[in-house]
Amino acid sequence: MFKGLFNIIVKEVKELVRDPKILLGMIIVPLIMFPLMGFAIQTSMEAAEESMGSISMAVMDLDKGPVAENLTNFLATLNIRIVEVDDLNLTEAVNYVEQSNLTGLIVIPPSFSDNITDGLKAELDVYTVFRGAGIAESTSSSAISALLKTFEEYLVVQKVGEKFPEEDPKTILDPIELAEKSIIKGKDVNIPPEVLFGLMMSQSLGMPIGIMMLLIFAMQLAATSVASEKEEKTLETLLTLPVNRFTILVGKLTGSIIVAVVGAVAYIVGFSYYMGSFAGVMPAGTGVDLAAIGLAPTPISYLLLGASLFMSLLSALALAISISIFAEDVRGAQALVGPLSILLIFPMIFTMFTDIYALPFPLMIVLLAIPFTHPMLAARAAFTGDYLTAIIGIVYVSIFTIAVLYIAARLFGTEKILTARLKFRRFRLRKSK
Amino acid sequence: MSMSTAVEINELVKVFGEVRALDSLSFQIRKGEIYGLIGPNGAGKTTALRITSTLLLPTSGTVKVFGHDVIDEASEVRRLITYLPEEAGAYKNLSGYEYLAFMIKFTAKNKETVKETVEVAAKISGLEERLKDKVKTYSKGMKRRLLVARALMTKPKLSVLDEPTSGLDVLHSVHVRGIIKQYVEKQGVTVLLSSHNMLEVEHLCDRVALINKGKIVAEGSPAELKTRYDSANLEEAFAKVVGFV
Repeated sequence: MFKGLFNIIVKEVKELVRDPKILLGMIIVPLIMFPLMGFAIQTSMEAAEESMGSISMAVMDLDKGPVAENLTNFLATLNIRIVEVDDLNLTEAVNYVEQSNLTGLIVIPPSFSDNITDGLKAELDVYTVFRGAGIAESTSSSAISALLKTFEEYLVVQKVGEKFPEEDPKTILDPIELAEKSIIKGKDVNIPPEVLFGLMMSQSLGMPIGIMMLLIFAMQLAATSVASEKEEKTLETLLTLPVNRFTILVGKLTGSIIVAVVGAVAYIVGFSYYMGSFAGVMPAGTGVDLAAIGLAPTPISYLLLGASLFMSLLSALALAISISIFAEDVRGAQALVGPLSILLIFPMIFTMFTDIYALPFPLMIVLLAIPFTHPMLAARAAFTGDYLTAIIGIVYVSIFTIAVLYIAARLFGTEKILTARLKFRRFRLRKSK
Repeated sequence: MSMSTAVEINELVKVFGEVRALDSLSFQIRKGEIYGLIGPNGAGKTTALRITSTLLLPTSGTVKVFGHDVIDEASEVRRLITYLPEEAGAYKNLSGYEYLAFMIKFTAKNKETVKETVEVAAKISGLEERLKDKVKTYSKGMKRRLLVARALMTKPKLSVLDEPTSGLDVLHSVHVRGIIKQYVEKQGVTVLLSSHNMLEVEHLCDRVALINKGKIVAEGSPAELKTRYDSANLEEAFAKVVGFV
């Protein structure tokens, strides 16, 4: 039955991979574009970090009191270069800061120390030079605010300590200590739920995006594969060859899957590099081992995820082929298949940001009826070990796949593949008016 | 169906919506002959060839190729024929060699056969070294020569050629006609072809059928038809048959 299948697959892969549009759009661009974006972000981040390390402030101390001196010393201990501008007036000081490339100016007004000592609110003027809207600018200015806030907390602790010398000021200010724990599969784990949620998100966030990209690539390829045969006038010859029509269909599906997987891998590699560019500037992980607390995928989870993904891929391709049969050329096929991506984006957004089963019932049913929701659910279930969800999804997607494959095979096996045309006559008429 | 019959078409009808493309078409092709269908645009030539090649289903009537019914034994028929559509293309991202190898691999028994058959096609097409280049670099004439060679290289029992010199300049047309004539005579392949070009038909065909509005209006050898309708050439004979003059 499948005699000649390998020959067709090889031809399909060669034709698709050698097509400059596919090679460039699906393989080369993600491999170049994402790393380039990552490089740009990494460079900006590094520049921002460097500027953090070289904050220099002008200080105009009009108070000369002990608290003002304390503040200046505090900033100096944090490696901030202090330039004293006490002998200048405010206008001169501002001009000087701007011309000397300093980060900003702190003006400590008279009576600053007295007010704090007397329990009154003291004012502190902070001027930051606005030179542009870069990341380095905003990080420097927020760093200064954070440092002054720390100094303020230090003053509060000192003040409370003076009032209540017998007690720990930190306990007075923060009397309750929360010990947040999580319950996972009936066991309590000494990790706050938001930490677990963050970890799960970071590990499972990429999966729906990857699945969506793979399915969109595959659908576009399958549609192109059939439509280009029509456009290049090769379909009729192909259909008169001594090879089973179903074999031609399977060959086209397999060729598209192979190239789509390569495209998705290129996308994921490029995307990982892009995400990796944030690693240097993001806070490090909490060191929680998901496998140790039973939240890492097991081999069975991976197997179920693979099965779910494969069936979805097959159904997406069969759907794309069935629809592209009605197009006369590649552009027409892509236009017909394009709207199907809604069926992928919709489930992706919901599975990424919410629990589908917690949604209003009609919306939940709509999402579950979309076959491409299920590999995304299976990806999430892989972490929680919810095998039943994955299995039910696989059964549903399999039934859908068989139905769509049957339709595709029927269309391929009859003269419909040559004669079927979608007519947009009404649309054209309306448009031309 | 007699032993000497290659194709037998009986009362063939094909309806597309409200259009009756073929209207009780009947004719027979003998083994080893070149049979031509001549007629104006929309006469039903391509539809008849497509049904014979198992691409379209008849609305009614029967088509048998070497005794095999095109509906019930479509896969048997496909093993015996090659089909060259009028505006056929080749896979543009494959080289000429890869294209021919792809086509032959469905029937070749081993790699040697593939190589030998491609060499035959290289000679038929006259493309030789250019077979290493991708099809997208070929001119229209080169592409057509490649496709004609593809249709003949496997020595099919029946080769169905729809307008084999369509859109070609004089020199390429002469070359393609030469290929068909020489190769068919040498290999004993039966050919069913359609053409607008009466000169081509006179030069190539042993027998022709004049087809108009889905029906055969006259049939015979080019010489017989010219005599029967007292015409200098087939073009004139055809005009007389359909009452144009």
